[in-house]
Amino acid sequence: MPRIIGVDIPNDKPVWVSLGYLYGVGRPLALAICKKGGIDPNVKAGQLTEDQLSKVTGIIEADYVVEGQLRRQVQQNISRLKEIGCYRGLRHRRGLPCRGQRTKTNARTRKGPRKTVAGKKSVKEMR
Amino acid sequence: MSRSLKKGPYVVERLFGRVQKQKQNGSRDPLKTWARSCTVVPEFVGHTFMVHNGKTFHRVFVTEDMVGHKLGEFSPTRIFRGHTMVKKEEA
Repeated sequence: MPRIIGVDIPNDKPVWVSLGYLYGVGRPLALAICKKGGIDPNVKAGQLTEDQLSKVTGIIEADYVVEGQLRRQVQQNISRLKEIGCYRGLRHRRGLPCRGQRTKTNARTRKGPRKTVAGKKSVKEMR
Repeated sequence: MSRSLKKGPYVVERLFGRVQKQKQNGSRDPLKTWARSCTVVPEFVGHTFMVHNGKTFHRVFVTEDMVGHKLGEFSPTRIFRGHTMVKKEEA
């Protein structure tokens, strides 16, 4: 199993798919990387030569922000919003959606699993 | 969609003028304003604004990080104090 940028070990999938296992690399970017490195995207990742691997690693390291660095960057952006006390920062603090979505219903991705309140009308009706 | 670059940031001229005037006087008194949609430009850094939220004025001290945001973003218009407790149902 090849290793690219530290810990990531994509397997016996086509290169353009297995590159997507890196945080910050999706399929479009994976294809772009293949094109840049002159690698056939449909070759299985396990069949890449050492040369090609180092080429891919080089391209990613030079041009893109991925993995830990990208995670840190995202986190920094969020903490900046929190610090300046703007609306989006407040929403982040509360774990609610920041982009004006409705929260009367849905928004479960941000709010997490439902917390049912006993005695609420909808609960009574369900009985 | 983001604003056209051609137009530049939306800055309320009157407020901008007041900031410039303050810069000349050297005073740093809070500026009362209703202009929530005014973009924070670098000239505002270090000044204090009282931004209206529909009811009261919210004190906002502008720091460098705030540049590019709107004044209204720092003056919340809604207060959520938690849900009321529902009385326990009798059996």
